[in-house]
Amino acid sequence: MFVYEKKLQYPVHIKNTNPRLASLIISQYGGPDGELGASLRYLSQRYAMPYPELKALLTDIGTEELGHLEMIGTIVHQLTRDLSEEQIKTAGFDSYFVDRTTGVYPTAASGFPWSAASMAVKGDIICDLSEDMAAEQKARVTYDNILRLSDDPDVNDVIRFLREREIVHFQRFGEAVSLAKERMDQKNVYFVNPAFDK
Amino acid sequence: MYSDHEMNRPACGEGMGCLPSCAPLAVPFVPFQPAGGKRYSQNDALNNGTLFPGLNLPFHVKNEASNVVSGPLAELQALEFVLLELGLYLDTHRNDEEAFALFQQYAALEKAGREKYESMYGPLFQRSTANGDCFCGWIQDPWPWNFMEGEGK
Repeated sequence: MFVYEKKLQYPVHIKNTNPRLASLIISQYGGPDGELGASLRYLSQRYAMPYPELKALLTDIGTEELGHLEMIGTIVHQLTRDLSEEQIKTAGFDSYFVDRTTGVYPTAASGFPWSAASMAVKGDIICDLSEDMAAEQKARVTYDNILRLSDDPDVNDVIRFLREREIVHFQRFGEAVSLAKERMDQKNVYFVNPAFDK
Repeated sequence: MYSDHEMNRPACGEGMGCLPSCAPLAVPFVPFQPAGGKRYSQNDALNNGTLFPGLNLPFHVKNEASNVVSGPLAELQALEFVLLELGLYLDTHRNDEEAFALFQQYAALEKAGREKYESMYGPLFQRSTANGDCFCGWIQDPWPWNFMEGEGK
């Protein structure tokens, strides 16, 4: 089960509103490489994982991603608080505002709503862990791109933190592949699928 | 499972990890983080997004120095962050006794820090309201996403 802790993983304090930037950062809430997909990917992949250290790692990283989802939601919320009539007409934000006002909705910056098609659960150890390593890289690049597009130091401080977490998670998933391999057929890791074949 | 012998090999240098001398073809390989590497203090860990200097690989743009951790909430966040980071490390390094001892130390610090924080600023868990006079502490603002004037890291 999950228990809510009434705090963020990392402080978010955005002094200046910026609806245009919010309309870009929303992609890490509900875009193809965002935190919603990350958490659901790992928490869903757990069930087919046969080895305990992989169950633990997917649980712990999936749970951390839920905390990151909350941080991104907080950035978007704070960037769009107390907007003026003029600000809601900001190019890029007006098309979000017309449908969601200033609610935080899981969508890509392109306007495409969050889709489970952006993640995978294959039921195979090497395949799922390879997907996870790629997912961390894709999220890392999205944060790189946000840093290129954003001039707000309060936002960038949080984005730097989230970006670094992708690198640490990549390392752990890479180690998980090594741990899994130790338990698999040493001559041919593809001889069976240990998540299915007994 | 990596043997203790392999885990305790001397580090190749900060930012370097271990690979077995022979490895199967056609599988992804990431070097294993060796035991006993350098670690940041809890505040620097939170600021950098990792406990481990060897894994701190920042992007070239917008890399201005971050704020110093200050205030009771950020201090608690720093302690919790070290616990979380050590937890992920221990998921893949469960035989690293020194890291587990550090995990135990930080768990004690975090527990004391959280109890002190909750007694001064209100409950972080719903069940913590049972330690006080009413349930109102759980309901009351601010919630974590609310913007609070004058606060910050």
